Amino acid sequence: MDRLSMTSTSAAHDVSAPILFNGRPAGLWVLRFGRFSLLLDRRAWLASLLLLLATIVLVGLSLGSGTVKIAPFEALAALFNQGETKTIFIVRDLRLTRVLGGGMAGAALGMAGCLLQTLSRNRLANPDTIGIDNAATAFAVASVVAVSTTLAPSAMALTGAITMLSLTFALSGGAGTRGYRFLITGLGLGSICGAATNLMLARAPIDAANTAFPWTVGSLNNRSGVFVNLLAWGVVVMLPLAVIVGKRLNLVRLPDAVAQSLGVRVNRLRFFTIVLAGSLTGLAVAVAGPVGMIGLAAPELGRRLAGPRTVPIVPAALAGACFTMLADLLGRTLFSPTEIPVGIVTALVGGPYLLWFLLRTPRGKQL
Amino acid sequence: MSVFPPAALQTQNLVLGYQRTTIIDQLNTEIPHGQVTAIIGPNGCGKSTLLAGLAKLHPAKQGQILLDGRDIARLSPREMAQSLALLPQDGVAPDGMTVADLVRFGRHPHTGLLRQWSKDDQQAVVEAIATADLSSMADRPLTTLSGGQRQRAWIAMALAQATPLLLLDEPTAALDLGHQIEVFELIRQLASEGKTVVMVVHDLASACRYADHLIAMRTGTIIAAGAPKTIVTPELIHQLYGVHCRLIPDPVSGTPIIVGVQRSIEKLEE
Repeated sequence: MDRLSMTSTSAAHDVSAPILFNGRPAGLWVLRFGRFSLLLDRRAWLASLLLLLATIVLVGLSLGSGTVKIAPFEALAALFNQGETKTIFIVRDLRLTRVLGGGMAGAALGMAGCLLQTLSRNRLANPDTIGIDNAATAFAVASVVAVSTTLAPSAMALTGAITMLSLTFALSGGAGTRGYRFLITGLGLGSICGAATNLMLARAPIDAANTAFPWTVGSLNNRSGVFVNLLAWGVVVMLPLAVIVGKRLNLVRLPDAVAQSLGVRVNRLRFFTIVLAGSLTGLAVAVAGPVGMIGLAAPELGRRLAGPRTVPIVPAALAGACFTMLADLLGRTLFSPTEIPVGIVTALVGGPYLLWFLLRTPRGKQL
Repeated sequence: MSVFPPAALQTQNLVLGYQRTTIIDQLNTEIPHGQVTAIIGPNGCGKSTLLAGLAKLHPAKQGQILLDGRDIARLSPREMAQSLALLPQDGVAPDGMTVADLVRFGRHPHTGLLRQWSKDDQQAVVEAIATADLSSMADRPLTTLSGGQRQRAWIAMALAQATPLLLLDEPTAALDLGHQIEVFELIRQLASEGKTVVMVVHDLASACRYADHLIAMRTGTIIAAGAPKTIVTPELIHQLYGVHCRLIPDPVSGTPIIVGVQRSIEKLEE
């Protein structure tokens, strides 16, 4: 009897014991300071770091390119008032507005896309489809066709975006399940605005139509510094809000009933998410016009890099900034001195890129 | 009037429904503490609606639900989430998520913006995963698990929530016999450790075998409630499902089993 129990004990030792779960979250860093603790997703942080590096490189390249070529490092140094006075002038006074406008518009669209896609659990939801950019375009075109000043189109675009956001909310009566009712209402209203834009362009004199054209495709040429600053501040303020909302949205990836029983106020969260995404889109469109594909492609890349555990707000913002700056850089340099508006480049490059991205993804993925 | 031990949940003239339709009408019932309660009844009788109402997913149109004597309409979502966990029927998890990732969600009502992962949270997750017997596969993606293991992972998430009450909507739907028993035995174990469990179950034999208390519903009202052995009769089955049958005791557990189910009474008497 003793021998029997002996052998069974040693046998138990021989079998390689399964590694039991010790509770340490895999792939996450736990930081604790007394009562406070943070849970950081390792992959998302590394992805953000990588994209931040890419952003810095692109800022340097963008600030350096133009009729006067400046090395990227010099351009970055000039940004912090280091270097020759002339270089500092070119970088800070001539080029910064455009690069900042492009980067911030891309970041805003990337975040808005990430928020909307997570909310609707649909990777096709994005700032283009909620009608805000169509409304902004219609308003901007109306202002150009009627009176032509530099400030007016941006202000009108922002007015259009806000009007559209409120109107869509009023008509859809709230977010609806997964925000679908809001998205569909925006789609419908957006197509009305699109038709209005075309009608105005068709009836306007050719010169006015020409001036209004960049507002219909998205361009970063000659943008008002006031609105670029407004956008930049908007992004700085809304980024942390979006990160907090994103943490909550992570729970909405579970079935609604589960999220609700875990204490998430799902309807309120949907409302906040849409207001945030709508405001970001409105500010971006007021600066750059309807730059397509960014809100679709940036979250896709962010998700791919950051992995399945988080809602990749920061990676999507940085990816959006990179895409937009890269597209603008290409548009300015490829056929220089002829300039291609950034929106055309994003559509030309972004379309096939996104197709490839979506087609190689296994079907049935759940966001 | 009050019974001992007091009810974990109590409904008083509860009316539940959507805009103009009423699904549950004037319902009065009690969920006993520390026991397994099964809600049974035909499709569309309001079982799931009642369960969702108890979890405050739908607000009561009239009447109230008392959780340990407190009206749940006055409880914040967080307070609610700390006292009651719900698992709905369709448990689809986002792609790429592991068992531990899913179970961590259960700690949400106990965490905050600057208190994202305390030692208690970690301990609760370890215990929940151990209770659900998933310790050896905690870091495996959910998609690689069997149906029964996946369902236990969802239950582990609800356990990590550390609530005295657990509501389950058809926890064994779409599971084969072996996996059903896995889940039911886990539920019994939880009740023996003091949890109050309420579940919607379709299979009557399982309901009788694994529940201490049955609530039989038809068209939004309760037609019988009590211990399975006392309330389950051929007449009740006929009232619920419109079929005739005989009942025999399970030779092992002694709980009722339905045999010879027929739509007409003549064939049964042949």
